[in-house]
Amino acid sequence: MSAGCVVAIDVGGTFTDLVAYLPSEKRSLSTKSLTTYDDFGRGIFDCIRKLALSLEQIGLIKHGTTLVINSLIQRKGAKTALLTTRGFRDALEIGRGNRPLPFDLGYRRHPPLIERKLRFELGERIDAKGEVLRPVDETEVMAMAGQFQAAGIEAIAISFLNAYANPASERRAAELLRYALPDVYVTTGTELSAEWHEYERTATAAANAYVGPLITQYLGRLRTEFQRGGCRGPLMMMGSNGGVLTAEGATRAPLMLVESGPIGGCIGVGHLAAALGFDQAIAFDMGGTTAKCAVTENNVFAFQSTYFIGGYEHGFPVRAPVIDIVEVGAGGGSIGWIDPQKRLHVGPQSAGSTPGPVCYGRGGEEPTITDANLLLGRLDPVRFLGGEMPLDVRAAQRAMASRLAGPLGYDGPDSIEQLASGLVRIAVTTMAGAIRDVTIRRGKDSRDFVLIAYGGGGPLHAVELARELDIRRIVIPPDPGIFSAAGMLMADLRSDRAATYLAPLGAASVVTASVRCRDLEREIAAQLAKDVDVAGYTAEWRGELRYVGQHQSLSVVFHDGDSVETIRAAFVRAYVASFGHEHPKSGIEFVGVRVNVTVGMERAAFAELSADGAPKATGARDVYSTVARRHVVAATWQRAELRAGLEIAGPALVEEFGSTTFLDIGDRLTVGRLGELQIDCALNGSTA
Amino acid sequence: MRDGESATIDPVTVEIIRCGLLAITNEIDANICRSAYSPIVAEYKDYAVGILDPAGNLICQCTGGIPIFVADILGIAVKDGLAIYGEDSWTPGDIVITNHAGTIGQHLNNVVMYSPVFAGNERGRPIAFVAVVMHWMDIGGWAIGSVSNNASDIFQEGIQFRTVKLYAGGQRQDEMFRIIEYNTRFPEMVLGDVESQIAGCKRGCKRVGQLVARYGLETFNTVVQTIWRQSEEAIRAAIRAVPDGEYLSSTFLDDDGITPGKALPVHIKVIVAGEDFTVDLSRLPPQVLAPINSGAHGGGHTCARIAFKYLFAANEPVQEASFRPLHVILPEGTILSAGPTAAMGRFNLPLPSVIDGIVRALESAIPERVAGGHYGTFSSVQFHGRDPVTGRFFQCLDAGHGGWGAVATADGSGPFRTMAHGNTRTIPSEVQEAMFPLLIEEYGLRPDSGGPGEHRGGLGTRKRYRMRASMSLLTAFERLNDPPWGVCGGKPAQSGNVIVMHAGKDPEAMPKGECELAAGDEVLVLTGGGGGYGDPEHRSAAALREDLEQGYVTEDGAVRDYGCR
Repeated sequence: MSAGCVVAIDVGGTFTDLVAYLPSEKRSLSTKSLTTYDDFGRGIFDCIRKLALSLEQIGLIKHGTTLVINSLIQRKGAKTALLTTRGFRDALEIGRGNRPLPFDLGYRRHPPLIERKLRFELGERIDAKGEVLRPVDETEVMAMAGQFQAAGIEAIAISFLNAYANPASERRAAELLRYALPDVYVTTGTELSAEWHEYERTATAAANAYVGPLITQYLGRLRTEFQRGGCRGPLMMMGSNGGVLTAEGATRAPLMLVESGPIGGCIGVGHLAAALGFDQAIAFDMGGTTAKCAVTENNVFAFQSTYFIGGYEHGFPVRAPVIDIVEVGAGGGSIGWIDPQKRLHVGPQSAGSTPGPVCYGRGGEEPTITDANLLLGRLDPVRFLGGEMPLDVRAAQRAMASRLAGPLGYDGPDSIEQLASGLVRIAVTTMAGAIRDVTIRRGKDSRDFVLIAYGGGGPLHAVELARELDIRRIVIPPDPGIFSAAGMLMADLRSDRAATYLAPLGAASVVTASVRCRDLEREIAAQLAKDVDVAGYTAEWRGELRYVGQHQSLSVVFHDGDSVETIRAAFVRAYVASFGHEHPKSGIEFVGVRVNVTVGMERAAFAELSADGAPKATGARDVYSTVARRHVVAATWQRAELRAGLEIAGPALVEEFGSTTFLDIGDRLTVGRLGELQIDCALNGSTA
Repeated sequence: MRDGESATIDPVTVEIIRCGLLAITNEIDANICRSAYSPIVAEYKDYAVGILDPAGNLICQCTGGIPIFVADILGIAVKDGLAIYGEDSWTPGDIVITNHAGTIGQHLNNVVMYSPVFAGNERGRPIAFVAVVMHWMDIGGWAIGSVSNNASDIFQEGIQFRTVKLYAGGQRQDEMFRIIEYNTRFPEMVLGDVESQIAGCKRGCKRVGQLVARYGLETFNTVVQTIWRQSEEAIRAAIRAVPDGEYLSSTFLDDDGITPGKALPVHIKVIVAGEDFTVDLSRLPPQVLAPINSGAHGGGHTCARIAFKYLFAANEPVQEASFRPLHVILPEGTILSAGPTAAMGRFNLPLPSVIDGIVRALESAIPERVAGGHYGTFSSVQFHGRDPVTGRFFQCLDAGHGGWGAVATADGSGPFRTMAHGNTRTIPSEVQEAMFPLLIEEYGLRPDSGGPGEHRGGLGTRKRYRMRASMSLLTAFERLNDPPWGVCGGKPAQSGNVIVMHAGKDPEAMPKGECELAAGDEVLVLTGGGGGYGDPEHRSAAALREDLEQGYVTEDGAVRDYGCR
């Protein structure tokens, strides 16, 4: 796979981005096409044609997709049945019985993925120690297979009580059903998660089965199309765990793709930060409808062990390792509105791409963040998207005046700018809240981090966001508009497994935990070896630990042969870092172990930018300075013309296809050797 | 806009400070949940975080705090401190606690901790307070956990701290920590939780101080007034939409737990007049000898405020001004306004019924806004004994989730915990089986338990436990005799119950009581459903067919409740 080029494909809500890395020439090509919802492959092959790539050239494909999450949220999946332990078919509907909105008399969760009449119970029972109290009744299973067939079932989720302690019964039932129903997609809970809590594991199995047939079909067809064109390279999928997985692995566990889309950017940030020598970085991605952020320390990301499909307030949990990303409803299309008490809000409703912001002139009537940025002079009405889409300033002004300024009683000559600036400040507060969630709320000080901002809107709001959070250093990567796809080029092959293991921390439990980890590691390696040639891999072991009596655990890395004292010290360090105090008198216990296995892959390097030449500003225009609270004149620069070592002082705008970087008074930019923009953000005396 | 901000403040600054304050309380909430020690704090989330003005008026409270703490529990605690220490004699780093029954009026486990906020290093009059109320899992008294079925005064229920300092000017008062340590059965857990409570107060003071320093005290205070005014206006507008009048409802509690069969009637009157909403609780039962009493703030006012929020302010953050249009008539000496020495261990037992009753009173006034009654009881089931393998004492405290009432536009939801609870989770069966010598034979929805109606009430649950060792069982169920009612023509739901099945004997009902169990015995716990909404005759054929197909209603049930042939 070393000879050919590596292609990364990010199929997003509006655009399909493609970046191709040519190892022989050590350079990348990129392009965008509109996403084609009826057949995603068309958008992908449009991109390939635009770049004139021949399929024979392609040595490896890495692909990120929002197919899984969209199918789960829009409820467009297979007709799925659940097979579970007698007495427990309602676990999926009862859930944990909590109400995140405590005062809503009509509160309800989204309905379960599998309705009650398609949830079936089987005579079998395992106890908490894994002892089989009643084996699977095989005759009963085969009889059920007939029922499933008659009912037109396309996918089956199998989840038994206490299977985390002994998965054999689930495996046996799956074997029988796969044999009897070869065309039906069958998944078990313990294939995906070996941790306890029957509801979460069952919901995970249900979700996996629900999207299984769709992903199987999609990947099968895509692979065929590539192969038919002469492509010999494997198809790898971008997983939510920060690594890629094989198409076979993704077909078995499509749930691993649940946050496939935004992960690429995180990986890119991890590698860019490492290449630039930053230990701690915030990945910040602002698109059309939402902004997302995550933190990386020494190119390692934190994980969420439970992810909520449809959000925490109404959604359901799945157990899939997902990079800890926080998402908020603030994007370029987010709408500014006022409630009956005349309180001003921004988002989470978005004008999306249709009708879009008012200034797009496609029928949008409600003022958005993009309209506000246009009115503040931060977007060029003529050169937007390389001149492909002229923006209507007048329409944006009218909407701002009639929808917001009038009702709020703003008047005077600069009322529109004030309001536009206000909308941007509110959006910035919301986005800063998301960054606080992934830093301060996780026990980290945001001021220690560099902010790496990308996506269409990231570079536009970076300095204001940094000021809000007292962050001094910002980095804007090359081609911020396609940075997510570019990041996928750098992803390694990765696979995770976890198991519940309850025992007080001590010499015996450390041995047992190590044995469990070694078993998990072997299991993963064997699985990977079935799909690809694995020459070597690295494994990381983690213990889930807590003080005895506590309910939530912290994840601590440990190694084969570590002493009890080493592990205890690592736990206490992590605890103090998170909560600021420790409990020296308390015992510590294991609640679980986790293993991840990574197989290194050839990856694109960041290209060096030449320092030759003396680029000049291409123009200047009026822009509203949040710092000075008035209009100032800002120089405009074209990103493509910049050279390493160049310094630019704010106020200034750096324009490129798909994004604009804004510098306010006092901000200073230096173009780095990898073509990145390094911004020193002015923090003193700059806030309201 | 920048100048002259004192008169009217710009809407952007208001929004930024409003979100900023809420973010502070939610941040502390998340940290406490993650670092807490006891199940009652970490799983059940029995705590709340708030920010108050210098006079003890609530500015904002964390979103996920449980409803029982929406009354002025935090405010009344701070006001007691202001009365005792004075308004101007505070020092940065002071941390005060109180659980005084005469002030707060809930069980002594609920301890409010608070700390003054200063903008700089000055002392005297603070600019705000940050407060965290938390359930301490044991605070002494004669019962484990400090809550019993039959304590007869507050002194049997633990130690009282009335407004004492854990930290004075940042100095840790070691004496106080020793008193706490030697007045609880679980010093490690309680002191562990207390550390997270202290960390919350400290973090809150720092963050509020930073926020005020950034925007200026004058702007901050103006914004607080604006936030209050806007919130109050929103709620007054909602009350105006309710027709004026006096509205009545009644329910009753089965008994007080020590006098079987003696019902305790609850009569509620709600008076709507223009923009004001009055809850008249003068016809409640007098305080009782059993520990189901509460003080005026912790009991009557709490119920009125929770019901008020369900009706008018579900989405408004919890704060003082949203309750200004609410008035409560509550004479002293009732079960929800008991004296300071009354037993209060199970103060929460009557609350769900009273809250539900207040909502029910408005059935005729705003039929589109009310819901059928919910299952309405904490339905507590406790197994305890010694583990036959380890020999260690165990306590499996379980509580039923039940059905919620149907509303004008939809069937009832659930199973959830009561209206006095919020984001409280069930304990997974797998966890219970791993920790206790029990097998759970079934845990599912209970068909036909939802009250019939045009919109059906939510279903209760069936949960059957089989003992794998001998142990004791303690139960406290309510609302068997006045099942969750229907509204607007809807029918009542089925009540819950506890059925004990000793091997080889006839099943016995034990909704409130205590008994011994042997290995092989079974206990079936049934929780109630929610009441229906609208006449069951108007239920659409399609909805009923769907209920039958999914098994939410049985064929017998369809014949009995909906007249199907």
